[in-house]
Amino acid sequence: MKHIVIIGGGIAGIETASALTDAGHWVTVIEKEAQVGGKLNNWSCLFPTFTPAEKIIGELQGKCRNKDFSILNKTEVRTIHRQKGKFSIATSNHQKLEADAIVVATGYELFDARRKEEYGYKIYDHVITSADLEELLKPGNDITVAEGKHPKRIAFVHCVGSRDEKSGNHYCSKVCCITGVKQAIELKKRLPEAEIFCFYMDLRMYGKHFEELYREAQEKYDIQFIRGRLSEASEKIDKSLLIKSEDTLSGRPLKMNVDLLVLLAGMEAGKGTAATAVICGIGCEESGFLKTTDSFLKSNFSEQEGIFLAGSCTAPMSVNDTILHARSAAMEVNLWLKNH
Amino acid sequence: MELYQELTRDVRFIEGLKSCMNCGICTAICPAAEFYDYDPRIIAAIVQSKDEERIEELLKCDTIWYCGECMSCKTRCPRGNTTGLIIMALRSLSQELGYFTESEKGRQQLAIKRVIGENIVYRGYCVLPENLVPEMHPEQGPVGQWIYENRDEVYERVGANYKGDGEGALRKIPQEAMDEIYRIFEVTGGFGRFDKIEHFSKIKAESMGFTEDGDDYSDYIKYINTNNNGKHTRQ
Amino acid sequence: MNKEGKIQVWQDYQKEIADDRYFYVRSCIRQNFFPGAEQTFLKILRSELGKDIYENPHHTTCSGIGYHSDIVPFDTIQTIVARQFALMTEAGYQNLAVSCITSFGIYNEIIETWKEHPAELEKVRNYLKSATGRKFEIPQNVAHAGDIIYKFRENIAARKKFSLINQQTGKPLKFVEHIGCHYSKMFPSKGVGGAEFPYVLVGMIESWGGEVIDYPERRHCCGFGFRQYLVMSNRGYSVSNSRKKFESMEPYKPDAIVSNCPGCPMFMDRWQYVIEEMEGKTYGENGQGIPVLTYEELAGLVLGYNPWDMGMQMHQTNVEPLLNKMGIPYNPDLKYATKEGRQIGKPTMVSCGC
Repeated sequence: MKHIVIIGGGIAGIETASALTDAGHWVTVIEKEAQVGGKLNNWSCLFPTFTPAEKIIGELQGKCRNKDFSILNKTEVRTIHRQKGKFSIATSNHQKLEADAIVVATGYELFDARRKEEYGYKIYDHVITSADLEELLKPGNDITVAEGKHPKRIAFVHCVGSRDEKSGNHYCSKVCCITGVKQAIELKKRLPEAEIFCFYMDLRMYGKHFEELYREAQEKYDIQFIRGRLSEASEKIDKSLLIKSEDTLSGRPLKMNVDLLVLLAGMEAGKGTAATAVICGIGCEESGFLKTTDSFLKSNFSEQEGIFLAGSCTAPMSVNDTILHARSAAMEVNLWLKNH
Repeated sequence: MELYQELTRDVRFIEGLKSCMNCGICTAICPAAEFYDYDPRIIAAIVQSKDEERIEELLKCDTIWYCGECMSCKTRCPRGNTTGLIIMALRSLSQELGYFTESEKGRQQLAIKRVIGENIVYRGYCVLPENLVPEMHPEQGPVGQWIYENRDEVYERVGANYKGDGEGALRKIPQEAMDEIYRIFEVTGGFGRFDKIEHFSKIKAESMGFTEDGDDYSDYIKYINTNNNGKHTRQ
Repeated sequence: MNKEGKIQVWQDYQKEIADDRYFYVRSCIRQNFFPGAEQTFLKILRSELGKDIYENPHHTTCSGIGYHSDIVPFDTIQTIVARQFALMTEAGYQNLAVSCITSFGIYNEIIETWKEHPAELEKVRNYLKSATGRKFEIPQNVAHAGDIIYKFRENIAARKKFSLINQQTGKPLKFVEHIGCHYSKMFPSKGVGGAEFPYVLVGMIESWGGEVIDYPERRHCCGFGFRQYLVMSNRGYSVSNSRKKFESMEPYKPDAIVSNCPGCPMFMDRWQYVIEEMEGKTYGENGQGIPVLTYEELAGLVLGYNPWDMGMQMHQTNVEPLLNKMGIPYNPDLKYATKEGRQIGKPTMVSCGC
């Protein structure tokens, strides 16, 4: 029986593990946290269908329970050596593992919105990120601003830490556009009196049902979309925020006062993925995401024979895309093991 | 002449325009855009289009003269552009070609050259106490007027060395130093710029009915300093 | 507002500031409007801190106001700047202390241009040689004069005679700080604290006992705009931008405005008078206006210098409300007197100049 070690127990890692177990392999997942599911644990529900994240987490946990693969929680990979066609892996808990193949599924990190200093995240009281909002949107949480009041006017800022030379991230994070639309609708449902504005540069509604949701946001929920990148936010004496943008479609500078500002923080490969790349001896692209040997035909192959890639460690991805990419990784690993 | 090509010879243009995605972040915090009917983003877009006709229009109109060169646009641009630098390149070219005299705001260059330019070359300062004539500077207020009228005593009181030898604030800059500044203007095209401003302004002044009249077009200078058609700001 | 977040940003932008042996270059605007501030700076460095700061009378304007009003070509200003560097090099100095923010921005812009485009540097070396026969080295360290006061703010605090504390209430005085656009908006890493939350003045004010208030239009330009002020018919731009700042800071009731840049305090000082004349609106407590200070003047007050020696009578908006709050004694009869104490008439004051 071949042994596959998967680094990362998020959506991609567990999905790959599950599929490879189904294919008859012995699989071990190394996960740095106490639980599986990665970033999904912090999410309330998913675009474009408003599926509760718990449902997907539940599925993943079910696979962990019912299928015969093992998970090493609170564990990180320290070193990997290749010996006679096998990988020997040492972990932070002093375990030694031998593997025939490795799948890197280390995922992404959320862009640290403090780096966009001009938006004042962690400085101004009522500037939050999309991840913070997702937490607030969980049932039972009341969404309030100064003096315990409900926000009357809310703005979303697209492309925070994406498509931005100043943040060092030139790429598009792909999921923020639709996340903004989804969260705006959820907020409107929770706070029907609130006016909601989305400041965008391009709305990239590439996925199934995305465009329809955008239209629904406009028609049914009266969410206003303003084409302009936010230049700065500043806090007023009453803790509301003065924001400055241009309404580029009418060619006028625009100043607005809002009670809550939501930053749609992008995705970065993050330190975990960078460290794993070094340990595995595989390359990163300029964006920091892991390099695949061919974008079309080998999107699960790293530069190292026997080390495969799955999920958002290779590029920003939605949950849906991550699941598909993980399944394709399992298929490639399976095929490769057969031939070796 | 290919105007776009000409712009690319200016190193500030190379630094100023990488590629613009029209996000409007520059306009959003532009002090000029809040006051004037003005949108720096559109200047970047026009120049980026390489449309020679529209670039020529820009060089001849008020638009490029609204910017205050505060450079707030540089801090924010997600593509590393600096609209302010693009404008500086456009203004240089507009003066080079004489197009600046086609607009009310552009024509003001002569007034600036006559005061600031000549201060620099002949005195070694951009601004001098004797420039702050109360009639031209009502904003300096009663204190400004008091300083102007008693400038020798006031500057002496506060420890300046007004028109004196040696070091200190407002000292007289030694003639050898001024000779060097003069030669720098000769060698680097500083006087070339001045001459163009004078040359094209005189043609314009004549065409507008002003005459040299032995006082070097002072009526024209007064006119460009104070004329405002009232159509520059947002309505 | 969470100060921890700001401290984090401040820590990200620590710049190197030379600690001695400076070559001083003056500011045109400061010399005209606040010459006492430059004198105060030199006095603090030489007498209080024992530093070597050298001024060569042969240095000139950097021509920055001409450059930013577009009558001086880039080649010309680069060569004028190179000449200042040559004077520095010839005097055996490597650290430039710049009195002016416009100049500071220009020195940085030119040095960065030379790094990106070495052909420009070669061209300028040739221009300078043929015009003056001089050669130069690029400074090792370029600091704005405010950076230097910032660096030694604790030494100044240790020698202080007065604190930025309201003597009647015992509470810290509230300051609005204004940095000046060209300090760090072009090159955030060249400014203490960066472009968004600059720390250079905050550090001084806090070290000397005061409190800084942040207000929505803090980052906005004072409205100088070079040609937008220089030409009489454009000045609406200038006053309307200052007005925007006053309106925005008003609810916080600042005791004073402190500026890093030479031009900004002049505008924020004079435009308060103009707005009073035009609209009948006076900012500040009791219709007295908000005093506007340079950081050198502020340091001088803390060190117990005579406000009239520092030239604070050249302000249009009176500084007395601040002096009274700090408990600084002054002789009102000598405010408008000459060096010898002779009266030379007083300006006719409006209310913000009581």
